[in-house]
Amino acid sequence: MAGFRRVLVANRGEIALRIIRGCHELGMEAVAVYSDADVSAAHVRAADLAVRIGPPPAAESYLRVDAIVEVAKAMDCQAVHPGYGFLSERQAFATAVEEAGLVFVGPRPATLGALGDKLAARRLARDAGVPIVPGTLEAAAPDRPASIRRLQAEAERIGFPLLVKASAGGGGRGMRRVDGPGELPELLATAAREAMAAFGDGSVYLERLVGRARHIEVQLAGDADGNVVALGERDCSLQRRHQKLIEEAPAPGIAPEQRRRLHEAAVRVAQAASLRNLATAEFLYDRDGVFSFLEVNPRLQVEHGVTELVSGLDLVHEQLRIAEGRPLSAAVLAAAERATTPAGHAIEARISAEDPAREFTPTPGRVGHWRMPAGPGVRVDTAIEEGETVPADYDPLIAKLLVVAEDRPTAIARLCRAVNEAEVGGLQTTLPFIRFVAGEPSFAAAEISTDWVAEHWDGERERRRALRVAQLAAGLDALDTLRPGSVHQAAAVAPLPAGRDGWSPAWRRDGRPGEGWPS
Amino acid sequence: MSATSGGNGGRPRGGTARRPARAAVEHPRRGSAGEPGLEPERPADARALRVGIARSSRLGSDRPIVLEPGGEDGPGRPASLPVVDGLPVPVRLDRRDRDRAVLVEGDGLEAFRTRVLFGPRRGADPDGLVRRELVVDGWRVEVEIELERRAALRERARRTGTAAGQGGPLDVRAIIPGRVVSIAVAPGDPVAAGQRLIVIEAMKMQNELRAPRAGTVDRVAVAEGGLVELGDLLVVLG
Repeated sequence: MAGFRRVLVANRGEIALRIIRGCHELGMEAVAVYSDADVSAAHVRAADLAVRIGPPPAAESYLRVDAIVEVAKAMDCQAVHPGYGFLSERQAFATAVEEAGLVFVGPRPATLGALGDKLAARRLARDAGVPIVPGTLEAAAPDRPASIRRLQAEAERIGFPLLVKASAGGGGRGMRRVDGPGELPELLATAAREAMAAFGDGSVYLERLVGRARHIEVQLAGDADGNVVALGERDCSLQRRHQKLIEEAPAPGIAPEQRRRLHEAAVRVAQAASLRNLATAEFLYDRDGVFSFLEVNPRLQVEHGVTELVSGLDLVHEQLRIAEGRPLSAAVLAAAERATTPAGHAIEARISAEDPAREFTPTPGRVGHWRMPAGPGVRVDTAIEEGETVPADYDPLIAKLLVVAEDRPTAIARLCRAVNEAEVGGLQTTLPFIRFVAGEPSFAAAEISTDWVAEHWDGERERRRALRVAQLAAGLDALDTLRPGSVHQAAAVAPLPAGRDGWSPAWRRDGRPGEGWPS
Repeated sequence: MSATSGGNGGRPRGGTARRPARAAVEHPRRGSAGEPGLEPERPADARALRVGIARSSRLGSDRPIVLEPGGEDGPGRPASLPVVDGLPVPVRLDRRDRDRAVLVEGDGLEAFRTRVLFGPRRGADPDGLVRRELVVDGWRVEVEIELERRAALRERARRTGTAAGQGGPLDVRAIIPGRVVSIAVAPGDPVAAGQRLIVIEAMKMQNELRAPRAGTVDRVAVAEGGLVELGDLLVVLG
């Protein structure tokens, strides 16, 4: 197959920009699509061509299969790269792309069907002899009393606490923790509603909640000839509401032999699904050192960069080459050889528009001051610049700060250094949380689990000192401008109105402003 | 530098000397306010500032501080310490550029240094308040700065004006911006504390907004499908 001349990037934000860069490096042109919220976004500016596809809500823009395929054909593209999120795992989208005579940069539609459906993936893993987390294996729509009763019976069998998960899910959306039978009906309804809103499919399944487990995932690559390799694993245990916050490669404290067995299990699942292109198999690693399969994400992951930094590969390049019909590259095969004995360590920290003192609630808005770290071993993937608006319509991720070093302690030291160089104003970000993680002894000791954030992070406490410092700094700065002969021109505070100094008779008489008081 | 001993030795007495004693005869009005705990000490220095945390950055128990300048520097006199809430505190601001400074708490090698990024100043509103954004250790903090005398005046006016209206209606406001997915209550509905009022979707997460206390719904200020900004009025509870 001839190489691609022009690729449509069906995404936005940092990942769209990252893919456009990858296209340009391979001599391909990139076509961006955008909603009205992204008219002047970085991915639009970076692309060779850009086409508007609808208003801000994702359902009316980035999730419109017909509009995106139409643009790809009209713009004479040969391939469509879906990035992550949005349509990346949707079988119907991959099918529509292929039916339009274009190449979908990702797994075959049938593989998306088998793996994108989390339950089908669980059955597939079980059939491939890979242990899975106990739970249900069939999707259920909790919209009728009978199906709720059935789920209640299943829940009793699995045991509490458990997780309600969206069958079509990912990224924690449509997922709820249930601690007892009484909570189940209401949380089933909430999860189903959120799943319906996020994925257009409200069906859910149940899975045992494994306490203090680690979340470890394996990067996989496959070509059209059925060759599948593992390119190393990532530890993504630091999560909040099932959203990853910190990811690193390799997973600390895993022996090479254990690592090899994990990689092999992941490859078995991928082979069972005839994986072509990239995918990631996610596992839980419990306190007894047992791995159990969670799901496969058949797409590029947000955190693919840590694998790139450790393996030396460019995964977007590899995706495009595989999509062009080429076999796994020599670089990929060499990286797979080294995957069980990785040299170096990489960490990614997600800088999101979220308030870590308020349960990580989103803080969309306009970015004021913006300065990202640089220097040795630092990579920042972002589409944000000073003055950019972070819309409420999309994911709150605004930048990925990645560091790489010769070993884990040095990588953590580098993360400490880098995060202190970052300056973001205008909206609250997760930077304080990242600072905290980078300086926390239990993180340095790799005593991590999916409960780590809940057990260690007290946002209000961390913020209190910053409040005091801000008050003192703002006050001292203002006092300085009030000092007679101060070099600072701008007045720090407005002066008192003329003739009104302190407690005036007008105030004392009736508690209301006297004549001439500005209202 | 000898500022450490000089400052620590000299300031507390100096501060006390500038500050009127608490004797009732000197401040008859303070006694009449009847709320000694709420009334900050009226400072002698006309330039004293009150620095509070703006509503958008508040977490609950944050209290404003009152900051007074130390005495002027002069030949043979060490730089004096600023007075924070009535006490001289060894703290100073080292400026780096237009936007950046380091707050130095303590002296010499023992000093605690924190980098501070100054954001834009939002001009004085009719109350003489200046809002300013600062970023400290990644935390974005909005502070409100005003002359202490004016703050005291304003507070007194508000206390007198609202004395009769205690326990009035409660405005429930949006704590996150987003889209209103569903509204669980209608005007006239009785609600219990913790009952779900509204679901707001922001960045693909559904966030449930619950009643902060029991009451009756006076008004629902938003519609399903509508967009709300941080701080927008959602529901009024009677």
